[in-house]
Amino acid sequence: MTYYELPIKEDVPSTVNGLLREWLVHGKIEAVIAMQETPSGKSAFPAMVSDPDKLNTNVFAPILPVSIGTMVSKMTRVRGSTSPIAVVLRSCELRSLVELVKLKQADLNNVFIIGVDCPGTFLINTFSSYPGKGNPTEAVLNDEAEGYLRSACLNCKDPVVESADMVIGIFGADLKKNLILDVKTDNGNSLIKGMDLKVLKDDGKRKKAVDDIRKVKDGNREIFLKEKEEIKGADKLLEFFETCVNCHNCMKACPVCYCKECLFDSSVFDLEANKYMAKAKAKGAFKAPTDSLLFHITKFNHMILSCVECGLCEQACPSNIPLMDIITGIAENAQKEFGYTPGTDPEAPLPMVVYREEEFQDVGE
Amino acid sequence: MSEEFEPKIVGFLCNWCSYAGADLAGTSRIQYPANIRVIRVMCSGAVDSVYVNRALIEGADAILIGGCHLGDCHYLNGNYKARRKMVLLKNILETLGMEPERIWVKWISASEGQKFADTVKEMVEETKRLGPNPFAKRWNV
Repeated sequence: MTYYELPIKEDVPSTVNGLLREWLVHGKIEAVIAMQETPSGKSAFPAMVSDPDKLNTNVFAPILPVSIGTMVSKMTRVRGSTSPIAVVLRSCELRSLVELVKLKQADLNNVFIIGVDCPGTFLINTFSSYPGKGNPTEAVLNDEAEGYLRSACLNCKDPVVESADMVIGIFGADLKKNLILDVKTDNGNSLIKGMDLKVLKDDGKRKKAVDDIRKVKDGNREIFLKEKEEIKGADKLLEFFETCVNCHNCMKACPVCYCKECLFDSSVFDLEANKYMAKAKAKGAFKAPTDSLLFHITKFNHMILSCVECGLCEQACPSNIPLMDIITGIAENAQKEFGYTPGTDPEAPLPMVVYREEEFQDVGE
Repeated sequence: MSEEFEPKIVGFLCNWCSYAGADLAGTSRIQYPANIRVIRVMCSGAVDSVYVNRALIEGADAILIGGCHLGDCHYLNGNYKARRKMVLLKNILETLGMEPERIWVKWISASEGQKFADTVKEMVEETKRLGPNPFAKRWNV
């Protein structure tokens, strides 16, 4: 692990863009997958760019319309890449990608993982019509946008990428002068080989900045968990999900909801009329569309151990149900029970594919 | 006077052990409460949370997952996997305040007709103490 100085040219995003461009031009990679602003600047999407002249990335744009983890999975799950690609992603995106690799739905062959320090993201609409001063990327880089951050970002589990080939660091850097390139692997070294970069003496400033931001987020998360603990029991749960229209957007947006075909999109729940009559008679009435709560609770059972708390489910909800209010607590407790932190250790097996003979002896007798 | 609450119990019993155990209870004429409705599954490891959740949300007062004794699974380790699934399910229900104690996991072999009968009796007693499942009356699920 070595820190290098990446001097700022015009501004922070264009400096990173220049770095990626250099790799493309020199043939170190054949394409980049990174966040690229749309022509109007009102949104940004992951793009796979092979032509250096089409490269217009803004890896710090505070918006997460989809997870790059999901996109990489889409592009590599049939077969991995045979030519080198650099993927630039945030911490939560990388964590979901690691889970997808474990689920055998992504292949990191020939993929350089470039992490970026994440200052947080806004909801899509907040980004596209940013109500604050200046532009959203500058605001978030200058730490002036806390009020606009998504709740998942305020309570972020870890805004700093650990298991990457290289991390483009803003924490602990003087953004008027330079960014920090934290090169972690031989692959990372091969990318910067031949580039005229100055080694940055580690004065402990980055570590302190990272520790500080983690402390803030952990503190936020703790308060949030305490506050939301009261959403419990049949009445409160049903009230919480009352406005759910059963669209399944939360499931489609979730990077780790892994079934290729969802049971809830199948015809399993299509019954004959007399079965519906029986259903009505059982409780006197039933709500249509049916099985909303069942959908949510079953979804939690399937994906919660891999949940990286990116909050994309919440962002996708047309009824603005604050899903993270309950998912954060469920993820916290379930992951603790199995001693599993998703997305951090690529070698740690998924809890549901392994077992030990001597465990959980209070269940089953 | 209102009628005494009779719990409705749904049982998911594995084909090789627990279902045969329930069968033995019947053929041996061991008496047990008629509160349980048995669904035969090929293995306790095949019981996805969706089945259990559906029973719970539709109003079952208790749910039994019956499998072979640990180490005796017909498919070698299905019951170990069932245990992990049910640990996760109970953990989630606990966080949501959805009464995980309504979910019972028992290892009942094909020769344990008495254990099956005793399990059902115990479940009925405990569930009567616990009261009806609050979801049994909720139409807006």
